[in-house]
Amino acid sequence: MKRSVDLEQEGIQVKKACCYFCHQNCGILAYVKDGKVIAIEGDPDFPTNTGGLCCRGNINLLHLDHPARINYPLKRVGKRGEGKWERITWDQALDEIAAKLAKIKEEFGAEALATAGGTQRTDDWARRRFMNLFGSPNGFHNSHLCWIPTFMIETAVCGWSPFEIDMGLSRCIVLWGQNPAVSTLPEMHHLSELKKKGLKVIVIDPRYTETAAKADLWLPLRPGSDLALALAWLHVIIYEGLCDYQFIEENCIGFEELTKHVEQFTPEWAAPLTWLDPELIREGARMYAMNRPGNIQWGVALDQQGRAAGAAIHARALLRAITGNLDAPGSDLLTGPAPDFLTDEEMEANEYLSEEQKAKQLGSDKFKLITWPGYSKIAEITKKYWGKAPTAEWMCEAHPPTVFRAIITGKPYPVKALIVSGTNPVNSYGDSQLVLEALRKVELLVTCEYWMTPTASLSDYVLPIAGALERPTITSSYGCTDFLLASQRAIQPMYERRNDYNFWRDLGIRLGQADMWPWETVEDAYLYKLEPLGYGTDTYDEFVEWYRFYFPERQYYKYKEKGGFATPSGKIELYSSVLKDLGYSPLPEYVGPVENEIDHPELAKEYPLVLSTGNGFMPYHHSEHFQVPQLRYLNPEPYFQINPETAKEYGIKQGDWVWIETRRGRIKQRAEVTPAVAPRVIITQRGWWFPERDINEPELGGCLESNTNVLTSVEDEDCDPMSGTWANRGLLCKIYKVSDDNGKGEK
Amino acid sequence: MAHYVMVIDTRTCVGCHSCTVACRVHNELPVDMIYNPVTTVGPTGVFPNLHMVHIPLLCMHCENTPCVDACPTGASQQRSDGIVWVDEKKCVGCKACVMACPYGARVTNKEKGTVQKCDFCMDRVDKGNIPRCVQTCHQKARIFGDLDDPESEVSKLINKEHVVRLLDELGTKPNVYYIYGLEAQNR
Repeated sequence: MKRSVDLEQEGIQVKKACCYFCHQNCGILAYVKDGKVIAIEGDPDFPTNTGGLCCRGNINLLHLDHPARINYPLKRVGKRGEGKWERITWDQALDEIAAKLAKIKEEFGAEALATAGGTQRTDDWARRRFMNLFGSPNGFHNSHLCWIPTFMIETAVCGWSPFEIDMGLSRCIVLWGQNPAVSTLPEMHHLSELKKKGLKVIVIDPRYTETAAKADLWLPLRPGSDLALALAWLHVIIYEGLCDYQFIEENCIGFEELTKHVEQFTPEWAAPLTWLDPELIREGARMYAMNRPGNIQWGVALDQQGRAAGAAIHARALLRAITGNLDAPGSDLLTGPAPDFLTDEEMEANEYLSEEQKAKQLGSDKFKLITWPGYSKIAEITKKYWGKAPTAEWMCEAHPPTVFRAIITGKPYPVKALIVSGTNPVNSYGDSQLVLEALRKVELLVTCEYWMTPTASLSDYVLPIAGALERPTITSSYGCTDFLLASQRAIQPMYERRNDYNFWRDLGIRLGQADMWPWETVEDAYLYKLEPLGYGTDTYDEFVEWYRFYFPERQYYKYKEKGGFATPSGKIELYSSVLKDLGYSPLPEYVGPVENEIDHPELAKEYPLVLSTGNGFMPYHHSEHFQVPQLRYLNPEPYFQINPETAKEYGIKQGDWVWIETRRGRIKQRAEVTPAVAPRVIITQRGWWFPERDINEPELGGCLESNTNVLTSVEDEDCDPMSGTWANRGLLCKIYKVSDDNGKGEK
Repeated sequence: MAHYVMVIDTRTCVGCHSCTVACRVHNELPVDMIYNPVTTVGPTGVFPNLHMVHIPLLCMHCENTPCVDACPTGASQQRSDGIVWVDEKKCVGCKACVMACPYGARVTNKEKGTVQKCDFCMDRVDKGNIPRCVQTCHQKARIFGDLDDPESEVSKLINKEHVVRLLDELGTKPNVYYIYGLEAQNR
């Protein structure tokens, strides 16, 4: 906000907008005059951020009219990646793309179109709607890495994911692989306030994070060993008699099987796997189990562990159940889907996709939980119980690495077109070299973007998308909770930018879907969603201006009234019949991290260090915001963390450029020598590419050079058998200093 | 007359730099200029026995002002409410104040040739608003208010908590107070 701006001048309208740089969607007041945003500030009346804005939130105005933004539709006229573009109209772009998609559908079937998203950077129900009507089951996100496996496993066990933490009366919160001091600042504020009143905070994280520094107890486990820790906690709580036996007796089945199953998983068993003292493991388990009610807050750490992810999530879910920390005041609540407004799922038109096409979803034969086989099963149960199903966009998706392989090999069938919306897959999806090969090879690549990213530069068409302040937003936890926060756009999109909603709608209309898109603007669609609430506003903007949010009265112990939980037995299934029916273990079985020194001693000789990737860090979000100097100065270059002892062993000093190599490839980042991580642990920064470099082939903005996803693994056997999530954490690597004689030595 | 002070609670600051960015964007500062950096001390210790604290800095708005005393042109001034500011029209960029300030709080704007610094967002404060860095802080680790008002949050905090002022021994009497409490030690 410019100091010189007089906010009391005549003609200023204050719009209730939101930040769109992460899923928090912090409330923003935008001061608009003559169609221009002249100032912004955090909205003090917004329930989450209460006036606060993080670094990213503060640069909204710089982002809005940044000189590097894409403002007009572009069509490739040179060779792919050559950087030769022609400015065309939206009509031309949509006509041509629609014609090409129609031809591909005729020749190869609708499934030959795949679409990729980021994490809630777009109106994804609209994409799903388009895909269902087009007839392709192959939409996906990289959300496998972010909550989706957690949601579906927890829903399988207890009928909905208890992600809504009810903090007021809580006495203890476990932050498991979550660092809210960096990634969810509004949450951190509320935690800090409660901590002053006595809330116990347990942080489980291999890094001494900003949040760990404020915790009562920090469990610095080996990266990727969360499953062993969760199993040991189950053991301690059960064998020390710390369970809520009345809750178990009344509401759970399978406790005997669980008790027998975890007998072997003692803290002493877990100690060499987690690198934690058995007494520290006990102390953590006791602190959580004995300070009731309590919460376990979700973090992405478990979702990102590949092969061991599903079992770890499963074990964590059981901790809540056996301590009775479910749907009680101060515990984790099963909100269920919103009964009184239309959910995202109800806007997706899933019923229009034929069974024949659902069966073709890539990866659904291998990974059954968050694809049509598992989703159908869970949706059927939740519809019977809650009346509604989880959002299919997110919870029922093609397996991204399988799609990329299908593009490259044509197997099991050809995928000819990829539409990318609000993501830069070469930096944010696993195994970047595989992704890059697929992007180079796919016949038709369309990217909807803010910036000319490495992915956009390889595209046939690049379409300019409306960003923060230019789009309305409904925030409702991926369409899976009972409340919503509503924000309006401050201004209409600048230049020729458009909402991604309008992209899908206009493309759909050209492909014979006109009857199915009655809402001309996204506001019209949002109003349709909200109408059942009965507020009677004429427009969506009126709802925002007058009400802004909708929080239904909180109901606890819903299972008592509803006669149980949304599972086949109506009980919390500690021994899960849903997972068993899908062919998975009904109890969490121990499996080691994808690569580890115990199961793979030979590999550990060549790659002796333990690697973790993918954690968030300020001031960036995923692979975004490297273009903004007002943020970039805070962290201008990629850094990895290494313990001083290990650094000394390798002759590495603070700031040295170092190669980090796994079986998949190598990248270079600079060394941050810090005691925040254990000896032998390497933690890299994610997302890195360099918009200041040549964005065209072959440089592509240096998109592989420091990109941690070159190191991650998406091999089928490294993925979680239930969800298919791939392995970002608990990998083995080696390191060596960058020098003139070991490859490209330049920075 | 008001007596403006800021209290910074290092127990809740997480070092997110939002205040720095908000200040820079609001004041349209060049990228090499910062009024209010956040310094992080640590993590110190040996894994896993560590400690870390973040200390947000800014102009201390001293009661006894070495900078104002050093200014040969009268550009550096102190208002009766305690806010120390620079009248850019009078500043000749001699940097005498930069040398005099024991806190390193003054910076030269290379584009304008003048010295600038935090002025507690006095244009906002004069309209009854709080400084930008205070509003943007999610953690509410920066608290701003009138020390002459016994009911203000800053008055209550300064009376209740153990507060320290930086380089207090110099006799500058800063109007920025820090709550510096050790968190429960980790194992």
